[in-house]
Amino acid sequence: MAHTIASPPRAGAADTSRVKGGRRGRVTDSESALAWIFLLPSVVYIIALVAVPFFLAIAFSLSDVTAGDPSYDWAGLAAFRRAFADPVFWRSLWNTLIFTGISMALIIVLGKVLANILVADFRGKWVVRFLVLLPWTTPVALSTVSWLWLLDSIYSPIDWLLRNAGVIQGNMYWLGQPKLAMASVIAVHVWRLTPLAAVIMMAGLLAVPQDINEAARVDGAGFWRRMFEVTIPLTLPVIGVAGLFGAILTFTDMTVVYVLTRGGPTNSTQVLASWAFIRGIEGGDVAQGAAIALFLFPLLLAAAVLILRAVRRMEIT
Amino acid sequence: MADRGWLQDLTSQQRSRRDFLLAAGLLSAGGVLASCSSEPGAGGSPAGTATGTSGAPEESFTTPTRNLSGDLKILLWSHFVPAHDQWFDPFVKQWGDRVGVNVTVDHVNNAEIPARIAAEIQAGQGHDLIQYIATLSQFEPSVLDLKDVTDEANKRWGQQIPLAQKSSQNPATGKYYAYAPGWVPDPGDYRKSLWEPVGFPNGPSTWDELLQGGAEIKTSRGVQMGLGMSQEIDSNMAGRALLWSFGGAIQNEQEQVVVNSPETIAAVEFMTRLFQQTMTNEVFSWNAASNNQGLIAGKLSYILNSISAYRTAQVASPDVAGDVYFVPALKGPKTALAAQHVMYNWIVPSFATNADAAKEFLLHYTENFASATYHSQLYDFPAWDKLVPQLDGWLANDPFGSKPSDKLAFLSKARDWSTNIGHPGPSNTAIGEVFGTFVIPNMFARAARGQQTPQQTVGQAEKEIKNIFDKWRSRGLVGG
Repeated sequence: MAHTIASPPRAGAADTSRVKGGRRGRVTDSESALAWIFLLPSVVYIIALVAVPFFLAIAFSLSDVTAGDPSYDWAGLAAFRRAFADPVFWRSLWNTLIFTGISMALIIVLGKVLANILVADFRGKWVVRFLVLLPWTTPVALSTVSWLWLLDSIYSPIDWLLRNAGVIQGNMYWLGQPKLAMASVIAVHVWRLTPLAAVIMMAGLLAVPQDINEAARVDGAGFWRRMFEVTIPLTLPVIGVAGLFGAILTFTDMTVVYVLTRGGPTNSTQVLASWAFIRGIEGGDVAQGAAIALFLFPLLLAAAVLILRAVRRMEIT
Repeated sequence: MADRGWLQDLTSQQRSRRDFLLAAGLLSAGGVLASCSSEPGAGGSPAGTATGTSGAPEESFTTPTRNLSGDLKILLWSHFVPAHDQWFDPFVKQWGDRVGVNVTVDHVNNAEIPARIAAEIQAGQGHDLIQYIATLSQFEPSVLDLKDVTDEANKRWGQQIPLAQKSSQNPATGKYYAYAPGWVPDPGDYRKSLWEPVGFPNGPSTWDELLQGGAEIKTSRGVQMGLGMSQEIDSNMAGRALLWSFGGAIQNEQEQVVVNSPETIAAVEFMTRLFQQTMTNEVFSWNAASNNQGLIAGKLSYILNSISAYRTAQVASPDVAGDVYFVPALKGPKTALAAQHVMYNWIVPSFATNADAAKEFLLHYTENFASATYHSQLYDFPAWDKLVPQLDGWLANDPFGSKPSDKLAFLSKARDWSTNIGHPGPSNTAIGEVFGTFVIPNMFARAARGQQTPQQTVGQAEKEIKNIFDKWRSRGLVGG
C-alpha cells in the first residue's frame, strides 16, 4: 500500500504562500482587475464572432474575392457599383425595411396583448406561458419548414380548412403570388417573434407598482384609460426594447425567406440577407455578397444605439 | 467429472434451448423485416423488381499506376435514388481496403454543396474529392486541372461525350476544372390517362401540342401542367429547353451574350400563353421537389423531370406510376433540345492532401460506372458509351419493374436531344452564375405574371447576364 508522507514545510515556504496569497488577495480585491476578468470572455467572444467577421466583410467588399478564388486583390468600390446597378438589390433593401417595419408594429401590438393575457391570473397560466413560448424556442429553420408545408401549393392544411369552410374554391398559392408571399413572410416573422416580445413586456408589466393602478382605478379610470395613461407610459422603455429586438431579428434573418420562397416569385420577397447569400455564395461573387450584407450595418447600429438609450432611460426612471 | 459432465450437458441443453429461442426470435424478426421490405416503399425499390445485387453488373479492379496510402475524404450528394448510396459507400470502402487508402465518405443534401465548397476553399482545408450535380466552373481558380484523368479515361474508353466535356472544361483557359463521368437526362413526364382523351395518346411531341393538349386537359379535367418558373434547379432546366427549342440562347459558341433576340422574345411570349392556358400560380413558388410531389399526387398532367419522380411513384403510388409515360425533348420552331437534368462534376481542390488517391478512385469509379447506373435504377447515364454496354438492354426491358417493360427505351437516344446548360457554348463560370442566380426562370416569370412585356423582361435579363459575363471575362475565365 502506498503511503504519502507530507513533507514538513520548508523554511520560507509559508512566506512565499503568504506573498502569493497576498497577490491573489490584491487581485480579487481590485474591482478594476475583476471587472476585466469577468468581461474578458464577452470581449473575446465579440471580437472573434462580431468584430473579425465585420472587418472581414469590409475587406471582402473592397476586393475581387470569389467563392472559387480567395486570393485578395484590391478592387475599390467595384462590388458596390455592381450591387447598385442591380434592381434586385434595391428591391431587397426595400423589402428588408418593409418586412421589418410591418413585423415590428405587429409584434409590439400582439406582444402587448399577449403580455396582458399572460399576467392575468387564471387556471393553467403556466401551461399557457409554456405553449406561447414554443414558437420562439423552436429553431427557426425547423419552424419555417413547418410553415413551408402549411403554405404548400398542393397539400396546404390552411387551404384545406378554408376550402371546407367554403371560403375558397381551389388553392391560395400563398407563396406563388408576390403580395401573398410577402404577407406569408411577415406572418412567420410575427408568429415566431411575438412570444419574445410578450415575455419582455410581461416582465415590464409585473414591475409596474400595483398601487398606481389601484389609485387610478379608485379615481375612476377605466381599463383603456389605465392602459394608455398608466401602464403603457410606465412600460414604454420595455416596449421599445421588445420592438427593437424584434426589428433586429427580422432585419438580419435570411432563413425565413430562404426556406419559404428563396426570394421568389421573381425576387419579390428577396431581402438583403438572402440576396447577399445568393449573390455571394450561390452566384460565387463573394465581394458583391459582402457589399450587400454591409447595408445591414447602418440600421443595426441605429437599433443598437436606440436600445442602449432606452435601457439608460429605464435606469434613470 | 461425472457431475461436470452432467452440468455441461445441462448447460449445453440450456444453451441449445436459448439458441433455439434466439434463432426463432431472429427468424421471426427477419420474417417481419422481410415482409416490411417487400412492401412498397420500405426497400426503396419498386415492388416485384430487381433488388439488391441480383442482375447487377460485375465490378472490376485495375491496379493503380502509383502507390497509394493515407486518407481520402470524399464529399458528395445524397443521391435522389437511395439505393445508389447503399451501393456506393461499401464500393468505395472496398477499393480503399484494396489499395491501402483509408476512405471517408460524407453525403449531404445537394443544395448545401456549393456553400460547403466555398467554405472549404476559404479555409484551405476539407475534402480531397467533391462531387456535385451541376457544373462547378466557378471554383476553377482553386481546383486541380483534371485533364490527366480525363485523358486517361479517353484512352481507356474512347471519346467523352461532348455534353460532359463542355460541362467540365473551360475553353478560355484550357483547364479541366472538373471531371464529368456521368449525367442524367431530363425528359417530359406525362399522365397517359389525361393526354389520351385529348388526342395525344403518346403525349405531346412539340411545344405547340403541349399548349394545345395541356389547355384542353385544364379546361376539361381541371388538371394543370407544371413547368416551374421559380428560383430552383428544375425551373432553370425547363426555361432553357424552351429557349433553345425556339432558337434562342444565353451565349453563342464564342461565349458572347446573345440572349436578346427575336427567338428569345418568341419563347417568352409562348411561355406566357402556356402559363395562362395550362398552369396556375403554384409554378412561381416551387422548390426542386414540388413538381415531383405534384406528379405523384396526381395533380399535374405534364412535368419536365428525370425518372426519379417516376421511380418514387412506383413505390409510393403505383397507380400513378403506371399512368406516367415519357416523351423526349419537345420540338420547337427551330429544334428539340433539353438541358441535362444532372451533370456530375467531381473536383479535387488545390488544398487536397491526397490528390493521387482521388484521381485513381475517379478512374476506378468510372471503370465501374455500369454499377452506378444499375444501382441508381437507370438514373445515372455514362459520359463514355463503352462504360455501360448493357444500358440499351436495361432500358428496353427495365429491371426495376416498369409496365410496360420498355417504357424507358426512348432514353437510349437521350444524348441526341440533350445538351449542356451553356449551349451552344461551354458551361463557363458566367453561365454558372446566371444559373445560380435564376436569371432565366425569372425572365420567363416576369412576362408570365404580366409584370413586364416579353421585350422588357428579355432586356432586363440581358443587362443582368452582360454584367455577369463582363465581370468573369475581365478575370480571363470567359472567352469572347
